[in-house]
Amino acid sequence: MLNLIKKELRLCLHPTAFIFLFFAVLVFVPNYPYEVIFFFSCLSIFFSCMMTRENGDIAFSCALPIKKEHIPFAKMLVVFGLQCIILLLVGIIGAIKGVVLPAEQYVNQAGISANLVLVGNGAILLGIFNLIFFPCYFKNPDKIGVPFIVGAIVIFLLIGVFIVLRWATPLYSTTLNGLNYENTGAKSVALAIEIVVYGVLSAVSCELSMKNFQKVDL
Amino acid sequence: MNALEVRELTKVYPEFKLDKVSFCVEQGHISGLIGRNGAGKSTTIKSILRLISAEGNVSVFGKDFLKEEMTVKQMIGYVGGGFQYYPMNTLAAIRKAYAPFYPSWNQSRYEKFLSQFELIESKKVKELSEGMKVKFALALALSHGAKLLIMDEPTSGLDPLSREEFCDIILQLVRKEGVSVLFSTHITSDLMRIADDIVYISQGKILAACSLKELLCKYKLAQFASLADASAVNAIGVKAVKEGFEGLLPSDMQISENITVTDATIDNIIVHLEKANEEKKHVESD
Repeated sequence: MLNLIKKELRLCLHPTAFIFLFFAVLVFVPNYPYEVIFFFSCLSIFFSCMMTRENGDIAFSCALPIKKEHIPFAKMLVVFGLQCIILLLVGIIGAIKGVVLPAEQYVNQAGISANLVLVGNGAILLGIFNLIFFPCYFKNPDKIGVPFIVGAIVIFLLIGVFIVLRWATPLYSTTLNGLNYENTGAKSVALAIEIVVYGVLSAVSCELSMKNFQKVDL
Repeated sequence: MNALEVRELTKVYPEFKLDKVSFCVEQGHISGLIGRNGAGKSTTIKSILRLISAEGNVSVFGKDFLKEEMTVKQMIGYVGGGFQYYPMNTLAAIRKAYAPFYPSWNQSRYEKFLSQFELIESKKVKELSEGMKVKFALALALSHGAKLLIMDEPTSGLDPLSREEFCDIILQLVRKEGVSVLFSTHITSDLMRIADDIVYISQGKILAACSLKELLCKYKLAQFASLADASAVNAIGVKAVKEGFEGLLPSDMQISENITVTDATIDNIIVHLEKANEEKKHVESD
């Protein structure tokens, strides 16, 4: 498995998979729907899958001394790793923003502030994207467009929902909004729940993808 | 022990069926898998390697492919045409990703092949000619000590000189290293040069699986003045040619003096067996 992961990193990842990680600094942009940052992570998955197809990587991998179901597993582990990095970076850079900027500039008028709950919201978005995109992609690895478009539409609808929640519900507009040191307990619980949801969605996505890929004829 | 045993390999597509394909590749032998385009050569190879899900059994050096997939794949070197993967990557990058999968990887052997094949590792795959791509695929396959080479049309797209060179390399590998080879092709001159055995597939069915000599001795090519003459002796796959008609006759048949017979080449055998097969199919569909 480690060899497969190394192969993914060496040969399959599109440069945007790393470049888009730096988009975590967008949390410094005032009044911006920060959840959009996580869409870029989804976009880099799309580019990497395109690269996988253009490189004939799946046929190459299938001839290696590995089990067929290890191929989607390794690819998804790499993606989960990158997703965890972007979540971590958003959390860290968001925290830095809270320290360096005055509180009134920290509050986001276009959505939730760059706090722990934003990281949780990102986890939910990525988990749902994983659940939609990967099982569909591994049913037919030559067709990347449709799973991505469906995934992207759902992601943007969910971003819309998070923005509405920020303005329509006191829980999101007051309790879970603002600096991390305000209502830290509530924010931590929300983050923990959202991370668990991400884990469950990704695990289900992985299981379905491995099952679907077994039936693929190359 | 056979290097490869394929038993009743079956794969059904809406418009094509690989129908209970069975054959063996003997240890140290070169077997040519032949047949026209769309006959099922690539499907057979992909089914053997489980790149597509097919029914049937495959064993390599006595080990069942499904039960011991990892061990079996360590013994196989697969060359799918040229090297069509990672065109933008250098050979070195590909080798670095490929080698760790094989505990038996021999770096000095790999370097020996690189110099023998005049390959430069800093080159990108897209910068290689078709012949060089095949050589790179061979270098990778042989450096992990593959005992069985499975190649899907490795010589198609190569010029005659490169094909000749490829055949020399394969012959050398079999003689010096004892490697066994299964390779699909529709270029029969390559088979005449190096193949010990022939597996002939047509419309998803094996029509012949025997030694090359046996296949060549099995038929004679007969020339007939008229179709009636050919029908009278039940010639196989009769077709019109410039001077009358031509068909195959079994070698062991008593042949009258007014029929001209010559030795059949693989091309002759394939053409006439295919014709006979098509006629049989038409009769069955009528």
